[in-house]
Amino acid sequence: MDQLLAALDAGWRVLLVGLVLGAGLPAMFAFGVRALAWGTGGEAEVHASGVVPKPHAMGLVVASTMFLFVIVAVLLGLSYIVAHGLGYALTFNGILPVFTPK
Amino acid sequence: MMNVTPEFILLALVVLTALAFDFTNGFHDTANAMATSIATKALSPKAAVTLSAVLNLAGAFLSVEVAITVTNAVIRIQNADGTPKAELMSDGGHGLLLILMAGLAGAIIWNILTWLWGLPSSSSHALFGGLVGATIAGMGWGGVKWIGEGAKLDGVIGKVVLPALLSPAIAIVVAMVGTSLVYRITTGVAQRYQESSFRWGQIGTASLVSLAHGTNDAQKTMGVITLALIASGTWSSTHEIPLWVKVACAVAIASGTYIGGWRIIRTMGKGLVEISPPQGMAAECASAAVILTSSQLGFALSTTHVATGSIIGSGLGRKGAAVRWGVAGRMGLAWLTTLPLAALVGAAMWWIGHLIGGTAGAVTVFAIMCAAALYMRWHSRRDPIGHHNVNDEWADPGNAEPKVPISGGVH
Repeated sequence: MDQLLAALDAGWRVLLVGLVLGAGLPAMFAFGVRALAWGTGGEAEVHASGVVPKPHAMGLVVASTMFLFVIVAVLLGLSYIVAHGLGYALTFNGILPVFTPK
Repeated sequence: MMNVTPEFILLALVVLTALAFDFTNGFHDTANAMATSIATKALSPKAAVTLSAVLNLAGAFLSVEVAITVTNAVIRIQNADGTPKAELMSDGGHGLLLILMAGLAGAIIWNILTWLWGLPSSSSHALFGGLVGATIAGMGWGGVKWIGEGAKLDGVIGKVVLPALLSPAIAIVVAMVGTSLVYRITTGVAQRYQESSFRWGQIGTASLVSLAHGTNDAQKTMGVITLALIASGTWSSTHEIPLWVKVACAVAIASGTYIGGWRIIRTMGKGLVEISPPQGMAAECASAAVILTSSQLGFALSTTHVATGSIIGSGLGRKGAAVRWGVAGRMGLAWLTTLPLAALVGAAMWWIGHLIGGTAGAVTVFAIMCAAALYMRWHSRRDPIGHHNVNDEWADPGNAEPKVPISGGVH
């Protein structure tokens, strides 16, 4: 029974963080794609025939920000794997990630 | 130079068997990271297995953390510090080496059998199952650590059964939410444009899964081999792994990955759900997030279960997409039976090795394993699946008409 509770306890944490990162990042990426399509205009967007959507510079800015965010998150994941393998633990100082030797 | 004694032959067989297991571990799990990228053509099949192999190789070298106590999760053949139990050490560690040998042989046979069936079963469950079976045969029921003490997740229940029940469910939810968000957000984006963008995201997240796999799984075999070396007295440190063991394991898992378990890749990429690039990205991102979070929290789980759960979730999260529950059910059955059946084979192997006795017993176990592997490999030639046909339309058995692929979510 203790084991089941311990597993559920770990499970809901994994679910919570998993939702933020595992569903949040694709959503972020999707916003980037959406903004990029809006920024590019033309055939990137679904449009009625005859009315070609105009490009918007703002869309490109938003898209770059979103993609940058996702890339940073993926790099963080990467550095986590590397640090974990090399015997470092990941802790958070506020929101800034810090790697300390185990 | 070492004399070729019976003990040395036994040790060499154990090391060879462990490396063979590492190889099957590699090809069994290529699909976890790369099935979605192959199915959506984000990467060509050859490019995908090459990328995954390189990342697994790098991952294996990255893990300096010593996994020497790996068997302690489920059986009691080691002390807490990683040294083998004294009672198994008589006769040049023969007792311990035979348990390792039989357990690994059981795991390999089960891994190849599920590959033949195209089912993604967990390699770590197969390893633990084989070891549990060989231990029950060799030391009785008391040799197995069934359940952890108190709230510390340990033993067969805490490290294997409970995570196996929870992790696919978690991955399904995460991937389902991710997929549904992605489709909602990208409404109005032309389908071709949307798909080409998501292919890039997919490659990035799939790479993370591959690297994480290399750091986790190669370590287990390194731990087992080092334990065998300690038992036979050729190595003494429990804090270090010999360099050649590390190199051999890294090469074994990477070459297994490169060979690619195409039958399993096909089932995961085409059989469960018709995957589009946005679904693929959401699924891989969910897998990477769940695997890394669990590893941070010390929650042991199987990459296979998470990856499969994520793919099912990506099918549930998309309107109009269908999950082939028949295929998912067969997988579920394979998951439930992996531990007990690998245990059964492991136990049988131990009895064979024990009854024949000595070096001849170990050689017989090794020969049976090779024969079984070759037979299954020969059997697979009747219906070969490789990079050339891995993406062919999925035809349900008993339903001659191939399923119509689901068109994109955006019109």
